[in-house]
Amino acid sequence: MGKATIIPFGPQHPVLPEPLHLDLVVEDEKVVEAIPQIGFVHRGLEKLVETRDYNQFIYVAERICGICAFGHSYGYAETVERLMGVEVPERAQYLRVIWHELSRVHSHILWLGLAADAFGYESLFMHCWRLRERVLDIFEKTTGGRVIFSVVKVGGVVRDIDAAQLAEIIRVLEGIKQDYKQIMDAFLKDSSVMNRTVGVGYLSFEDATNLSMVGPFARASNVPYDVRSLGIGAYGSLSDFEPIVDAQGDCYARMKVRALEVLQSIDIIEEMIARIPSGDIAVAVKGSPADGAEAACVVEQPRGECYYYARGNGSKNLERMRMRTPTSQNLAGMVKALEGCDLADVNMVILTIDPCISCTER
Amino acid sequence: MGAFKLGKMTISGLFKQPETVQYPVQTKTPPTGLKGHVTNDVTQCILCGICQKRCPCGAIEVSKPNRTWSINRFRCVQCGSCVRECPKSCLIMEPTYAPCSTAKHVDVFEVPEHHKSEDVIKTSE
Amino acid sequence: MGFATEFTTITLQELPELSNQRKADGWRFVQLLAVNTDAGIDLIYSFMKDGLLVNSEIKGVTKDQTVPSITNNFLAAFVFENEVHDLFGVNIEGIAIDFGGNFYALAQKEPMTIISPEQKAAREKARKIAEAKAAKEKASQEAAPSEQPAPKPEVEQVNLEAKLAGMDPEKAAKVRAAMEAKAKKEAAAKKSEAKTDGEGA
Repeated sequence: MGKATIIPFGPQHPVLPEPLHLDLVVEDEKVVEAIPQIGFVHRGLEKLVETRDYNQFIYVAERICGICAFGHSYGYAETVERLMGVEVPERAQYLRVIWHELSRVHSHILWLGLAADAFGYESLFMHCWRLRERVLDIFEKTTGGRVIFSVVKVGGVVRDIDAAQLAEIIRVLEGIKQDYKQIMDAFLKDSSVMNRTVGVGYLSFEDATNLSMVGPFARASNVPYDVRSLGIGAYGSLSDFEPIVDAQGDCYARMKVRALEVLQSIDIIEEMIARIPSGDIAVAVKGSPADGAEAACVVEQPRGECYYYARGNGSKNLERMRMRTPTSQNLAGMVKALEGCDLADVNMVILTIDPCISCTER
Repeated sequence: MGAFKLGKMTISGLFKQPETVQYPVQTKTPPTGLKGHVTNDVTQCILCGICQKRCPCGAIEVSKPNRTWSINRFRCVQCGSCVRECPKSCLIMEPTYAPCSTAKHVDVFEVPEHHKSEDVIKTSE
Repeated sequence: MGFATEFTTITLQELPELSNQRKADGWRFVQLLAVNTDAGIDLIYSFMKDGLLVNSEIKGVTKDQTVPSITNNFLAAFVFENEVHDLFGVNIEGIAIDFGGNFYALAQKEPMTIISPEQKAAREKARKIAEAKAAKEKASQEAAPSEQPAPKPEVEQVNLEAKLAGMDPEKAAKVRAAMEAKAKKEAAAKKSEAKTDGEGA
């Protein structure tokens, strides 16, 4: 047993897209303990709710994160609607789910690309991002934005997707599916990928439940928890939804869960498009939330369950808005998964948790 | 298990059309409804100031005494609230992005005095 | 599986017991949040099981009180406990991974406890609206026993006051002036009407 050494990792590191600092206590090449530190990009977005009214804050909410931008605006709107007792038209709920699942497709493909980049498979990374671009094109055509959509408002959505565009979405998704299956083969069956991921960063089912993990990270440790199965909004009308789980609990399992979730999301979008009802896309929301009224809601973001809380104070401005993002929940699990791994595998372990530090700090 | 699973895709990529465009020479036509930049049809504007109130980032300033409508494009986030809330539908979201610039500036639109449309009809009669 | 939320109030002393019980019953820790109020900081602990989200609220925690950490049962809470300590200045004792106030790199201490002028104005406005509403209800209750179908002018006045309370003072003054002018005009019109009637007869 060698002497314990502390190696600082991050906040700026080639493999990390976002600022996360870790103090890695290593003995020889093995990590004994990891102490995370965040707090480099705290922007005080939750405080901004005091200066923007509840209709305007939705644009702040979607700027919390670039990848889950739609998810945050959707979760925020859902929470404020619960706070004010607004019933959203069914078509708007379906449209929200379609966009939300499209975000998941693009987020997971983006993540797969980053993972490929992290273990040095550059051409796989490029193919992933090439596919993701097609999803962004759908967003551009249906919402007018590629990253920030500003398409949700309290009481519904601001834009409809007409039948021609819905058919176009299905056509594009079918094309993506063809290419994606080849990419998935490379991820799940290629020996060079498996050598880097199988058995790395193991987290047991017991640890995942004890540490209250969420999202694909938990599902890769066989925790069958997915907010979508609770049936909030239009998810309730899905004919069949089973969370994708894997029992391995290592980096490979986490990659597999995300890879399969892309296909699941495409299926959900196709079902939603097939069953979308016609009708209004928004209701007028009048008045302001009552003093002391509270509401909470959860949404399954690409990275896991996100919790929203809102409290009104009788005026147009909310008293408090809170988002608890999946990464802040998963930090404890990340520390656990890092214990005992090789120093060279640290980047793979961190990446497979898909940390979004900007989300965590807001 | 196996190696080079991506082979088929990589090799077929040699013979396919490129997914990208040769940018300055070729450009993509922007889709309708793209959130590019906000302009004001000044002949319709009544300087009501609703856009200024609804703007989440304080980019729009309406001055009734000076009869001007100005927008700070460096603050604007293209959310489109002003376009939706405009009672006269005189604000338009153009599908082209605002050009980049070396200095921050505010775009000012002079709103001409105009009579109500009924008045115009009356005088023409 | 459906989704339901529940809000309950607990006291600070009940917290360790609640955390132990939740742990024993296999609940999942969802989050901890704080809300800054006049009476102190409200802490809300959320737990979830089978689609039931229970938010347990501890009202009005003051600076001199110490909150026991729940990281002994739920390690995932260390992020939120550090956050609440850094942003709201709540004393939390015994966090498993304690950063001692260095979790967030902040320019200002306890930024979330500062009441911004906007928040103050919003609270003031909400209070005024609530007061005006209460006054309106009182007036309508008083008006109810008297058998007069027409709305009393006072009720109208109160209605207007309720609306005015929500506006900024400059605008409210303008509206008041306009209302007075209108009342004068109406009175004048009535007078002249009475005059013409008299002349006609």
